[in-house]
Parts: sequence; C-alpha cells; structure tokens
Amino acid sequence: MSLQLTSLHNKHVNLGAKMAPFAGFDMPLQYSSVKEEVIAVRSNCGVFDVSHMGEFLCVGEDAEKFVDFMVTNDFLGAGSNKAVYSPLCRENGTVIDDLIAYKLSHGRVLICVNASNIEKDWDWFNEFVGDFDCTLTNLSSEYSLLAIQGPKTEQILKDLEIIDSAEFPYYSVKESEFNGNELILARTGYTGEDGFEIFCSHKFAGELWDKLLSVGVAPCGLAARDVLRVEVCYPLYGHEITDDITPLDAGLKWTVKLNKPEFIGKQALSEYQAKYTLVKLALEKGIPREGYEVLNAADEIIGKVTSGTMSVTANKGVAICQVEANKNPKDKNYKIRIRKNDFEATYYAKAFVTGGHK
Amino acid sequence: MSHQVPSTLKYTKDHEWAKIEGDIVTIGITDFAQSALGDIVFVELPEVGSTLDQASTFGVVESIKSVSDLYSPITGEVVEANNELESSPELCNQSPYDSWIIKVKATNLSELDSLLSSADYEQHCSEL
Repeated sequence: MSLQLTSLHNKHVNLGAKMAPFAGFDMPLQYSSVKEEVIAVRSNCGVFDVSHMGEFLCVGEDAEKFVDFMVTNDFLGAGSNKAVYSPLCRENGTVIDDLIAYKLSHGRVLICVNASNIEKDWDWFNEFVGDFDCTLTNLSSEYSLLAIQGPKTEQILKDLEIIDSAEFPYYSVKESEFNGNELILARTGYTGEDGFEIFCSHKFAGELWDKLLSVGVAPCGLAARDVLRVEVCYPLYGHEITDDITPLDAGLKWTVKLNKPEFIGKQALSEYQAKYTLVKLALEKGIPREGYEVLNAADEIIGKVTSGTMSVTANKGVAICQVEANKNPKDKNYKIRIRKNDFEATYYAKAFVTGGHK
Repeated sequence: MSHQVPSTLKYTKDHEWAKIEGDIVTIGITDFAQSALGDIVFVELPEVGSTLDQASTFGVVESIKSVSDLYSPITGEVVEANNELESSPELCNQSPYDSWIIKVKATNLSELDSLLSSADYEQHCSEL
C-alpha cells in the first residue's frame, strides 16, 4: 500500500525533514533536531502538520446527544463552543479510540480522531447514528490540520490576524474566516503548552504554514510531539490505551462519567475493577523505552513501559508504565530493566513537566 | 548527505570507525551515524577488562527517540572506555572522530582485513 501524503508534504521534504511512515502517511519525524524542536515549543512556538488526523462532522438536531451517547465523557454538559476529550468505548468498556469532540454550534459537532483508527471509528459511529436525528460526514481527507503550540502562540496568531483579541479559553473552539478561507480554530493541543489547532482547507494550509515559518515559528515533527506529550504524561492510543483495555486501566477515570444517563459501555464500566494502573517513573541514568519491564523492590515483574523517552525539558529518562493494579507497590519502589540491568526509578505523582497551557 | 570519512581510518558496515595503532584499536561511531541518529543523549560503555568478539555488541548509543547497538570491529580486550561520554554524550555529535568510545587490545590483527576502507565505506553509505 502506498503512503498517503499530507498537503504540506513537499514543504517538509524541501525543509530537509526526516520522513517516516506513520498511520499510513509519510510524515515528518524531525526537521533540525528533536531537542531544538522540543525547546521551541516549551519556550517559544512550534508548528506541527497533523493533517493525518481524522475528522468527522456531525450535523443535525441530535448531534450533541448522539456524540454524548457514543463517548464516556460528558459532552452534553459542556458549555457551547467547548472541546471535550473522551475515550470512545465498546459495550464491554474496551477502548476503540480516544478523541476530541468540538461543539461548533448547536447541531454541529466536529470529532477529531487518531489517524490509525479512522476506519474503525467511522464504522463504529455509523452503527449507531441511524437512531439519532443527525448525519455524519467523514472529512478526514478534506481538512488539513496544523497544531501551533508554545507560550508565544497566542501573540503570534494575533499578529497574523488569525485570531482576534476576543476571549478564547483553553479547550474551546470557534469557526472563523481569514481572507475568505473558512477555519476552525481550537485552543487544544497535545504538548501541554498553550496553543491552537487549526482545521483548514489544504490550499490554505500551505499559506498558513509559510506565514508561521516566516515569523520564526519552528517546524516540528512527530518525534518532538511524542517527547512533548510523554513529558506531560498524555496517553497515546496504541501505547497507554489499547483495544483490549478500558479507560479505567489507563488513568482515564476522570473521563468516564458514570452519572450520565446513558452511553455505550456504561454498564460494563460501572461494574469494572481496573486491572492496570499507570505510573510515571524517571531514571537518573539510562533511558526507559517502550516494552521494558517494570519491577518492584523484590525484583518481581509487575508491569511494562508503555512510552519512554529522554525528556529534553527534565533532562532525564522518563516513562509512562502500565503496572498490574494488584501488584502496584505501596512503597513506590520501582525498577526498570534495561538490557538485563535493573535501575532504581523515581516515582512521580504528577507529570514530569508542567506545561503552560491556560 | 555530505559527511566526513577520514581516509586514515577503517570502518564497519554498522558505522563504527577503527583507528589502528600497533595492537590497540580505538573505536567510535562515524559522522554518518551521528547525523542519522540525531541528538545523542546516552552512551552505554562496556567494562574495562571485558573481552569482545569481532561483530559482537559492546555498548549502546541512544538518541532521544532511538536505541542503537554498537558492534566491535575486532576481537580483543577493552583496555579503556571514554567515560567523558557518560556525562557528555553529545560529543559524539559534535566531533565523532575525536569522541572515541573504547580502546581494544586486539588479539587477531588479521581481522582488520575484513573492515572497510574509507572509499568502500563511503560507497556503502551512498547505497543506504
């Protein structure tokens, strides 16, 4: 199967990006250096082409009600123009995907899903949409998506007149227009920093990309994106969240609203005892990697690393680990096994890095 | 991609360089390797005194997102390891041919014949 290309593919290649296949797309992994890209996002501003992500538009009287029924988090209860992060579960409570649903206006909801799950999600939503007064459109190949992230983002977008001076709270969304181009502006992201995600036409994406780079915004690849999200401990589908576990096994209890009247998976999740718990561990020496074993003080294997990297910001090896809930040690003594050697790990109650999002 | 390949050194296909002085072989990673890896953030060194077979792994270099084994160009005993790389692994990026990783006392110098010349190594890289 040949790889899909985003509308900005040529620009990535011309910038000398190291390209790699990801979820069926040929995506930029890094441009200059992962380290510099991470630093740009934490201290200034970086832009990511995340056009591989999927978008479904749900329109109709029941749009909000339908999305609320599909997801575990409270979508109906969120205010107008709000974005809501949520797992999407099966009846048995296992996770199909995690997504962000955006309340564009009454009867109009945009759903943004992981690129690798577009087909699976599309099929799942369509199994249920017939019972509601709304229609679904798969716009995944229609939209480009740029994530502009970092503490300087708001000012830069104001200077470019992409956003105006009106209040724009974190996790909210607005439909907007720029020189005749329709934009969906969302104050969301996957880095822990303040920032915006802009859904737009392929044609405008190139113009926006060039504008951003011309004012010094750093082009950033998927490698930096992964480091940034691990530093702030955001879960990633296929790593912390998989097809065969529930949100309650992945530290996502806060997204499962059992007091909602009805949603797919409610019964299973209300009776479920979590098998796993996620723990955050750091090493002073060595770098934990996905799949490495996690041990307790008695050298028993109790879990595994689901995401591990060198943290550029914290300057140490950091890992999100899946530990068997009934073996999670109360003394918080953990080790990580790297190539047959066990290293004492430091337990973190909070994320390794505190992002600056508002 | 333009990269340095000093003609005075020998090379492995796995991108180690070897500098031969008598029976002491100094080993590091090439400019091509450091450039492909990106920011090197960790180097795992072998114990001094340990013995290596030709083509066996003797350590690891890690960039932010990758882990790569290091392969010995030669059989012998590790007589020195560059501990400076433990605190400053980025030296492998900055000056790959000065930033040696280990020195090995070779037991079979005829193995050197199987290593690549600079011209052969350059050819090898151009085919990757």
